Amino acid sequence: MTRRGLWIGLSLAAVTAVLLFVLARGFGRDPHEVPFQLRGKPAPDFTLRRLDTGAPVKLSDLKGKPIVLNFWASWCGPCKMEHPVVSMAAKRYGQEYQFFGVVFEDTEENARAFAGTPDPSFPQLMDERSRMAVDYGVTGVPETYFIDANGILRDKVAFPIDPRTMMEKLAALKQAPGPVSEVVR
Amino acid sequence: MTALVLGLVLASYAPQQAGSALLDPPREARVQALGKQLRCPMCQGLSIADSGSSAARAQMDKVRELVAAGKTDQQIREYFTSRYGEWALLEPPATGMNLLVWLLPLLLLVGGGVAIARTMRRPVPVAPASPPTPTDPEEKRPPSDDPYLEAVRAELRQ
Repeated sequence: MTRRGLWIGLSLAAVTAVLLFVLARGFGRDPHEVPFQLRGKPAPDFTLRRLDTGAPVKLSDLKGKPIVLNFWASWCGPCKMEHPVVSMAAKRYGQEYQFFGVVFEDTEENARAFAGTPDPSFPQLMDERSRMAVDYGVTGVPETYFIDANGILRDKVAFPIDPRTMMEKLAALKQAPGPVSEVVR
Repeated sequence: MTALVLGLVLASYAPQQAGSALLDPPREARVQALGKQLRCPMCQGLSIADSGSSAARAQMDKVRELVAAGKTDQQIREYFTSRYGEWALLEPPATGMNLLVWLLPLLLLVGGGVAIARTMRRPVPVAPASPPTPTDPEEKRPPSDDPYLEAVRAELRQ
């Protein structure tokens, strides 16, 4: 092989290797999956109004007990399947964790009809104009966020949560290490 | 087809809300320019400025709120990338691995140009002796056995 042929071969091999590397990275992940950037960071603070009583709920007042935030909407089909799972978990584990539903892009009337009889173990919060949802990086509904007792966002489930996943995430939330940190404002 | 029609009729949709109040023209222009750079989380290929989805409207509200609060364009982009990652940017920044996307086409272009230039500068190989041209009738040729051909040559020589 001539020297020129060797150079051409090496150049083509280098370009192919780079292309394969880029393609492997690109095809190795779901392009629709939005990364969860807030993992391990202080949960953004919020003050939202309860759907049943109208009383304000402020995140920074809730430290000391892990929190589960479930974003839903009455127009979301998968939320209808998921709602009983979160509701049952709230009834069963409400003493150890605080469960909140957050109404995403919906009217109060529709949300009330969807949520049914108010459940004190699973209060629903109205997120006016989805400001709080954007702060949390919500990309759609249903989504469930897990905040530890120190106010650190530990995990997120971006699909209709099932009982098994719920139990795993709750167990992990109790074990989650992390320093006491200021809540993001 | 029936399933599609039934789906469209029976499906539920997010109630549409109008966007927040527009800012003054210069700041609103910034809002729209920033909105064009940010990817809508629900519709994938569209910017939040171009999408009609409720999530995009909520994000445009947030951009407007941050612009009104005096945040710089960079701070606003960082607000979104800190939540959605670089995925939120329709045009990824030219850093790290992303540099490949920017540099590889340039490298291929330069490499192709160099290859073409080298090919064009290469000396043309000496061609084998060309056949006699009609303008050179006196050239020595071996005599032909064909009387007709000889007659034509003689005619041409006159």
